[in-house]
Amino acid sequence: MIYRISHTTRYTYSELVSLCHNLIHLTPRETPRQTCRRHGVSIVPSPAATWNGTDYFGNPVMFFTIQEPHQELTVTAWQTTEVFFAEVPLRQLSPPWEEVRERTASHPDAESLDAYQYVFESPYVKLTEELTDYALESFAPGRPFFDALLDLTHRIHQDFRYDSTATTVTTPLQDVMTNRRGVCQDFAHVGIGCLRALGLAARYVSGYLRTMPPPGQPRLVGADASHAWISAYCPGTGWIDVDPTNDVVASEDHIVLAWGRDYDDVSPIKGVILGGGHHSVTVSVDVLPIEPIDGVS
Amino acid sequence: MSAVGPSAEATNRNGIFRQGYVPLPNYFDEMVQPIGEIRPHWRTFLDSIEALGSEEFHRRWAEAKDLIRENGVTYNVYGDPRGMDRPWKLDPIPMLVSSSEAAATEVGLIQRARLLDAILADLYGPQQLLREGWIPPELLFDNPGFLRPLHGVRPPGNRYLNFYAVDLGRDRDGNFCVLRDLTQAPSGAGYALENRIVLSRMLPEAFKECRVQRLAVFFRNFRDHLRSIAPRNRDNPRIVLLTPGPYNETYFEHAYLARYLGLILVEGGDLTVRDNRIYLKLLGGLQPVDVIFRRLDADFCDPLELRSDSFLGVPGLVQAARSGNVAVANALGSGIVDTPALQAYLPKLCRHLLGEELRLGSVQSWWCGDPLARSHVLANLQHLVIKPTFPTVRQGPIFGEMLTADQRRQLAEKIQARPRDYVGTEQMPLSTSPVLVGRSWQPRHLVTRVFLTAHEASFAVMPGGLTRVTATPETLVVSMQKGGGSKDTWVLASGAVSSFSLLRSPTQPVELSRGGGDLPSRAADNLFWLGRYVERADGLVRLLRGIVIRLTEKSGLAEAPELPALLRTLTLQTRTFPGFIGDSSEARLAAPEDELLSLIFDAQRSGSLVHTLQSVIRVAGTARDRISTDMWRVLNNMKLRPDNDWSDPPEVTRRTLSDVLDLLNETLITLSAFCGLAMDSMTRGQAWRFLELGRRIERGLHLVSLLKGTLTQLTANEGPLLEAILEIADSAMTYRRRYLSSLQVAPVLDLLIADESNPRSIAFQWASLSDAVDNLPRDPQQIGRSPEQRLVLAALTALRLCDIDRLAQASPQGVRPHLEELLNRLEADLPALSDTITRRFLSHLLPSRQLAFVGFDRHS
Repeated sequence: MIYRISHTTRYTYSELVSLCHNLIHLTPRETPRQTCRRHGVSIVPSPAATWNGTDYFGNPVMFFTIQEPHQELTVTAWQTTEVFFAEVPLRQLSPPWEEVRERTASHPDAESLDAYQYVFESPYVKLTEELTDYALESFAPGRPFFDALLDLTHRIHQDFRYDSTATTVTTPLQDVMTNRRGVCQDFAHVGIGCLRALGLAARYVSGYLRTMPPPGQPRLVGADASHAWISAYCPGTGWIDVDPTNDVVASEDHIVLAWGRDYDDVSPIKGVILGGGHHSVTVSVDVLPIEPIDGVS
Repeated sequence: MSAVGPSAEATNRNGIFRQGYVPLPNYFDEMVQPIGEIRPHWRTFLDSIEALGSEEFHRRWAEAKDLIRENGVTYNVYGDPRGMDRPWKLDPIPMLVSSSEAAATEVGLIQRARLLDAILADLYGPQQLLREGWIPPELLFDNPGFLRPLHGVRPPGNRYLNFYAVDLGRDRDGNFCVLRDLTQAPSGAGYALENRIVLSRMLPEAFKECRVQRLAVFFRNFRDHLRSIAPRNRDNPRIVLLTPGPYNETYFEHAYLARYLGLILVEGGDLTVRDNRIYLKLLGGLQPVDVIFRRLDADFCDPLELRSDSFLGVPGLVQAARSGNVAVANALGSGIVDTPALQAYLPKLCRHLLGEELRLGSVQSWWCGDPLARSHVLANLQHLVIKPTFPTVRQGPIFGEMLTADQRRQLAEKIQARPRDYVGTEQMPLSTSPVLVGRSWQPRHLVTRVFLTAHEASFAVMPGGLTRVTATPETLVVSMQKGGGSKDTWVLASGAVSSFSLLRSPTQPVELSRGGGDLPSRAADNLFWLGRYVERADGLVRLLRGIVIRLTEKSGLAEAPELPALLRTLTLQTRTFPGFIGDSSEARLAAPEDELLSLIFDAQRSGSLVHTLQSVIRVAGTARDRISTDMWRVLNNMKLRPDNDWSDPPEVTRRTLSDVLDLLNETLITLSAFCGLAMDSMTRGQAWRFLELGRRIERGLHLVSLLKGTLTQLTANEGPLLEAILEIADSAMTYRRRYLSSLQVAPVLDLLIADESNPRSIAFQWASLSDAVDNLPRDPQQIGRSPEQRLVLAALTALRLCDIDRLAQASPQGVRPHLEELLNRLEADLPALSDTITRRFLSHLLPSRQLAFVGFDRHS
């Protein structure tokens, strides 16, 4: 499937901002499952300094500074990206989850060493016993890893209520566990925390969902904004993406921007401003499928 | 090994000092050999102080302690209400290190620095060490000090470690052993320097005879190294010392080192990033910065890419470093190798990376992330010291032997739950050295912190260091916070001693400004407020003294009819309503003592004298690098300090007004001395000018409120009131000389309002303000007068044109309307001037204080 995506973020401030430094993750990374054909970012007012590079996790990242006084900042990122169909592994055929844990911890090769870094705590994902207990309900001894992962995804979808007023960007994971409410970012952190609490590698994926569903299917939650989900590692199989917000395995409908340990590593835009007073943000995201690919069912 | 007391021979030799000194059994003693002989490298020292004699030694030590207190060498212990003012504990007996031992250790230290530098280069680069299994990946992945945005950013000159320290201890056999590596932003070098200065002044003969190696060359090497890593302007780079600020526990040291090394002391708010370069905010505009010597932990250095909750850093700093536009020492992220978990892997790493055997070993340690090591730790908890794996966790070491069986079991459970978080280390049987306790010498355990600077292609070791001693002979915990002390560390030379010195004479007035706009805006702000608080305290003391004299020397209102007006003025000036104004003030006016004592001593009461003096000292502390040692010393000697237990309620201390008079006089002299030194020793640059602006504005406000509170309303018998006003405004002598004893309102007003030759007249303040604002940095595009010049000109003109007789006129309602009008105008103009100056020169400080982190976009 080929998508044309545009993502516009507009900040308005009650007072002048004299200086503003930003870091954005708005350019899609290349993965075995997707390839970007064209992309670009436009920033108004235009930055005095920009830098494009790759972050520690291999994501494209851009840094920019606006030095002229402004009361409004608009960042528009657009891309045309092709996403390929991915085979979903069979539930029963993956190894027992304990074996996945041992093989990740012993990191016999470069791929598993790379995966191993996603086993540890990170700024937004502090590990607690509560997470362990919640996870163990899905991860019964000897249960095949993928089966348990899908069960955990399903339970988060069931047990947590989607409520965009319940949390903010900085709500601690602990509070989300207590209140059982939040948005995709929170659900992803819950799932990641559960997996890591058991010693499994899990990373946070930032990206988009297709906006218009195929005929006859419901519109997915989170499609009008940027989205986030979980990627879990299974040696031999590789990384498997699951979306607890929608209780699905991420497939052709999910377009990846970046991944990292948690939201903090890959937030689409972060910035520090001088001045500005109060601010308000509006975000609009459009994900349009422009050309279905034939021959794949 | 058995304990052997000192032999008779050794006791006789150097008798008076070490008489009765008995080293602890089973520990290595730095001064005495197990057979009781004095170690050879101590003999010269002991002979020298022997020659001095006990009386002279203790007399000099008493003087040295005064010097320490005066210099305000402090160690800010967290949670101590007296905060920054605890005197620094120094022991007068230095720690002596022989030249051969120092040389042997030096080689090992340099090797260790090279090794850690090589490890950092790998971990922030190819990470070959993880892939090949030389370092457990957990020590990187789980390390909060691993700053992923810095991965792949090569520091200038490829040096990650520029300033490195090691805590060294000695085991029973006298072998040196590393207890701790400090690779983040090691503290203590400034204290080592301060200890050296105190001790070399106290014992110049011993210092010379022992041929002690100087520290100056080390610091010069460090400064040269900082210059050499500047990405540009290498001939004359601008180097700053980045401090977390005056509330940091080692701020004194930051200020001290900055001055000693000739660096500019800055806080995050002084710096800004434009075009991926770091700039210093100066009065005259932005000036590029080439090198940052940071004393701020790396994760706080940039709220954009590192800890977003940090308000101490500089947004965009990481990008500036990434662009190669600034050198940061130590490189951001260097803290990852100071985990004690790494120490066990160093011998192998040294062979692998340097092809050498590790010369200087670490204390034995076991990282519990390794299953074998973990079972060793769990089986031997009672003999081991348990430390957090990553030092960012602010938790001290736990000594297994001090735990009960129950506590030990709980600790074992914690370790089993999160084994990666713990390291067990052997408990070092630290060596001992004599310290002075009262007049006797007693053994204490010690640890010496040794410092290294990157130097040319390698490293150089400080010939000296900061030796810290335990509080008692029983404990092996060396901690300043827990009452331990420190020693100067004398490394003895085998050959000639270099006499190179970086130090300026302490009596030389400190240069406060290099003129022009080269003053950091924050420093200008601090000096401005220092001026205001000093003068506010001065005005308040004068008014209080006038009142207290009248209350103690005359028997109340009948003899001093001017008192109610003075008391009301006091309430007005301190803004401590209701006080002596308004409803039910009659009772307080009749018995003003309690309210007066509260207005003097109550540190919690905003507007009180002690509260104001607290502000003086606090702001002086933040401007410490801008005011001279003498000025600081004057403030430190003030008796009426907030930390001198004035906070006790008067009924406890039974203070009376007559005791207070002496205190007020003493405070007045202190404040005058401070201002006198400012007049005499500060160069007339922008620093002085901002101090002056603050003082003149505040003195103007004081005079306006004094006259407004006393003379705008007519009182029955004005004579005593006029006399009091002249006395409080320090103008009684002048008045008498001019007018003899004829007290009238008009000449008093002339002297205190219009006479520009009287330094305590309102017109004098405005004339001085006019001078100051004329010399502030000018906007080159400005045509005509600046806003502050216009404001001053208008007020000064109004003062020059005023008709004194008209001001003195009273209306039939018993008020002086013209006087009131003028004073009201000036009362508004002075704060307006203060605001204008703040807006023009200090406003780019304001947004940085309101630094807002925008959480920005959110995943839904």
